[in-house]
Amino acid sequence: MFDLSALRTAVIEGDVSASTVAARQALDNGVLPLNLIAEGIGPAMAEVGRLFEEDEYFVPELLMAARATKEIFLILRPLLAQSGAKPAAHVVIGTVQGDLHDIGKNLVAAMLEGGGFEVTDLGVDVPPEKFIAALQQKPTQIVGLSALLTTTMPAMRSTIEAFRAAGVREQIKIMVGGAPVTEKFAESIGADAYSESAAASVGLARRLVGAA
Amino acid sequence: MNDQQWNTLVSAVRGEAQRPVPTAFIIDSPWLPKWAGHSILDYFTDERIFLDDNLKAIRTFPDTMFLPGFWSEYGMCTEPSAFGSVCMWGEDEFPFAKKVLLSPTEVDRLEKPNVRKHGLLPFTVKRLQHLQPEIEAAGHKIRFAVARGPLNIASFLMGTPEFLEAIKTHPEQMHQLLNLVTDFLVEWIAYQRELFPSIDGIFLLDDIVGFVSRRDCEKFAVPYLQRAFDADVTVKFFHNDAPSKASAPLLESTGINLLNFGIQHTLTDMRTWTNNRITLLGNLPPRDVLAEGTPADVKRTTTEMLNAVGDWSRLIVSCGGGMPPNAPTENIQALIDTVAEVTR
Repeated sequence: MFDLSALRTAVIEGDVSASTVAARQALDNGVLPLNLIAEGIGPAMAEVGRLFEEDEYFVPELLMAARATKEIFLILRPLLAQSGAKPAAHVVIGTVQGDLHDIGKNLVAAMLEGGGFEVTDLGVDVPPEKFIAALQQKPTQIVGLSALLTTTMPAMRSTIEAFRAAGVREQIKIMVGGAPVTEKFAESIGADAYSESAAASVGLARRLVGAA
Repeated sequence: MNDQQWNTLVSAVRGEAQRPVPTAFIIDSPWLPKWAGHSILDYFTDERIFLDDNLKAIRTFPDTMFLPGFWSEYGMCTEPSAFGSVCMWGEDEFPFAKKVLLSPTEVDRLEKPNVRKHGLLPFTVKRLQHLQPEIEAAGHKIRFAVARGPLNIASFLMGTPEFLEAIKTHPEQMHQLLNLVTDFLVEWIAYQRELFPSIDGIFLLDDIVGFVSRRDCEKFAVPYLQRAFDADVTVKFFHNDAPSKASAPLLESTGINLLNFGIQHTLTDMRTWTNNRITLLGNLPPRDVLAEGTPADVKRTTTEMLNAVGDWSRLIVSCGGGMPPNAPTENIQALIDTVAEVTR
């Protein structure tokens, strides 16, 4: 069995070119894309998350690891499509209307992608109707709502209310996060889950879709 | 700040015993205009509203200090505007500065702003100049030169994730950017001091410092903060309410002697990490307690915080960050009264 430790190390160290080289080597040696995700990228991102939680990694290190996984997925995605393999789930993510901050949302998107989810990133200042249009365009299991400001947190509630009004709320799980957001707030607006950090979002998303 | 408040602040910064322990709050547009009954945009654009709202806060809470005091600001737009950022405004929204650099390699084309002419900087100082006679007639003086810190400005010019990634992928260009921003900051601070000789403090706000490791902080934050704070002033005040464990031990070397930090850390931890050499301004939870709690919650949490820290030297009680939106009068008063009662 091909040793994926070089790939894992490259991802953990955020070395983009070494990550893609290692991924190609693994594929050339017969590692299946799904195995590469499950035994290479997944454990590497879990380690990145652990290092972040233990204050050994900070946001730049997280961003670099996420970037490395993103590059690997550029190689894997066509292969996964060819083989008919499905991502863990499709996630639509965005910063809610009125809020132009993207760091938390970008980190979560990158971590989820690295964790084997297909992510549609709608960007910042996203009105509810844009979320709803995305849900109608492609089967989606999870919606991620981000807000950095206490003044824009209410837009999370109105977005969820808009999902209800459009009849799409029951089709999806909603996870929310952002500096001012708390578990209590998440419950109060009818979200399904709250993630305290980008690193924790992958495990949370897996639990939401029963893939943990 | 009036002379008595300034003397209290200086005394606390020098580590002299204070009974009762002083209280102070950073107040600016996220809290003040709404509390005073105005929109954020009116606060920014109407000098009379700006003055009246600040005086109203000072007169409502005479037993506390407001920092930096009559803070002439345009949210996050003040400094980025001088670099050419497009600034977006809403009637009751925080203004937002759009990034000007689309890649790290574009740093070369960025020019150092003229602090006397560019962006919102002339408006910032003119507002204070117009109001200075009334501010001084009310017994107060302009005490601080104020600016966002070097990493904070750089992150607005590039985008925060892009900047944080670029310190790994393009470190030379990021040092180039930070050097340019710091050159600008030094001139901007000097210009404020030139216009207002009563300034004897520098106040820099930079949450981005909290997002990087100790090693990156040493490389990308400390040298630039040292330069920005390198002026002959009594109070060197820094705000970072993002995590501070990595940066805190390094702050003394930048000259900082007053620190407002977030709620991720206790006063005791922060005191240890700063080697008890920096006066701490903190750190009641701003949103969950000061804004959303009851006066009884504020009293209980403040008392617990004071009892937990034990040693009340080098301490000014505040919230962990700026005054949060919607913090009600009775909660602020409860904090002030509790500190006076517990520490008298």
